[in-house]
Amino acid sequence: MKQGHITILRLTSAVTAGFTFAIVPQAAQAAGVLAGTLIENTASATYSSGTASGSVSSNTVTVKVDELLDVAVAGLTTTPVTAGSTSVVLEYSITNTGNGGEAFNVTVDPAVAGNGFDAVVQTIAYDSNGNGTYDAGVDTVITNGGATSSLAADASLKVFVIVTLPAGATDGQSSQVRLTADAVTGTGTPGTVFTGQGEGGGDAVVGASGASDNATDQMIASLATVALAKSASIVDPFGGSQPVPGAVITYTLVATVSGTGQAEGLHVTDIIPAGTTYQVSSLKLDGASLTDAADADAGVAGASGIDVDLGTVAGGTTKTVKFDVKIN
Amino acid sequence: MKANWIASFIGMTAFAACALTTPALAVANPQPVELIGDVKVEKVVVENGKETRSWIKPQVVVPGDRLTFSTQYRNTSTDKVDNFVVTNPIPAGVMLAPDGAATFDVSVDGGKTWGKLGALQVADGKGGQRAALHSDVTHVRWTLPVLNPGTTGTLTYNAIVR
Repeated sequence: MKQGHITILRLTSAVTAGFTFAIVPQAAQAAGVLAGTLIENTASATYSSGTASGSVSSNTVTVKVDELLDVAVAGLTTTPVTAGSTSVVLEYSITNTGNGGEAFNVTVDPAVAGNGFDAVVQTIAYDSNGNGTYDAGVDTVITNGGATSSLAADASLKVFVIVTLPAGATDGQSSQVRLTADAVTGTGTPGTVFTGQGEGGGDAVVGASGASDNATDQMIASLATVALAKSASIVDPFGGSQPVPGAVITYTLVATVSGTGQAEGLHVTDIIPAGTTYQVSSLKLDGASLTDAADADAGVAGASGIDVDLGTVAGGTTKTVKFDVKIN
Repeated sequence: MKANWIASFIGMTAFAACALTTPALAVANPQPVELIGDVKVEKVVVENGKETRSWIKPQVVVPGDRLTFSTQYRNTSTDKVDNFVVTNPIPAGVMLAPDGAATFDVSVDGGKTWGKLGALQVADGKGGQRAALHSDVTHVRWTLPVLNPGTTGTLTYNAIVR
């Protein structure tokens, strides 16, 4: 009962929609003529010669467009994702800004300079069903460094990185996780040619991005700690405070939750000390009486002990449980 | 009538002679003018911070590359040719480059109407009109009033692979 935790702040659909919108113009701008396209130029002329007129065409010159390898990666998290005890999903997009179908190798690096902690990467998956949300067991999982499916020119793919906090992360620490996408055909300085490896049998040429791009998503550790303090006050049958038979002891249990996170499933339990008897209907939570029976309210009490289910408690909250026993 | 026959015959002879020297012109028509098309791609090499531009035969062309399409014309006949108008549709996959686009007539509607680029308008997609851009150009055109026998020259336009 030393530590409680919080859940993830999921990206809302509104946020996701905002991002989709932001990416579209970029993709449209990147539209390039597809690899394998033939550019054919023919000039023609009309003229008159004396009373006759005629026309003539030039030969046709043809240029084949080769594959340009380009990629853009964006982190889709504007506000840092808060991470507690459960795993969180970081979202990234990979856009094929080249002009031919291309798969990309995805590398996730949780060790970014300046990190308060380095997240533990559990799973890397891409949005194979295209619904924009991580579906465990449905979206295709890839190994770190593994390749996505082939992305058509100008197509975008969402990649999910599922991470957890490492042991030792403390409340409020932040961390960045970097995702890098490299064209499977190859990367290099712009202009590097991969002969015969372009779509349609032509060459592949590294574009301005170097056929590699990366972006980071940020996360913040949001943890809660719970402190429990127990005190007792005694009222004896004679108006004093002596622990004599017949005296009533009131136990006070104060649970203090601190941190930016929240404690989940928090129970305050105690046993009835030997030689004492629980006083029926004396259980209180924050001053309000709880019934002894296991029912709709949070408390259960009896001869064996008490149990108050506080459920989820946000950091910065104090809960006080009291109960009385009589010394036999 | 007889004079016309002779003229045609001379034209044919002239063409046949020229066809021997310029194999690029494959179709054997009795034309007094020949057109030879060519294309070059601009390659920029940066060495020690200095840019060197060269125009080479395209081997590798990718989106964003600059191409120069040229058409060489020659009056191969012994007669003067008038109203010589060379029209070149912009191939799919490229757009007219902004530089030099103002020196010849262009069309932004598939060759129906012509003018200098700065004077043309296109639909803005919102029910109105906007000034035409180099990327809207569908055809380029050059007009030469007279071509004397033997006159030759080259017409070029620059394009960018879309």
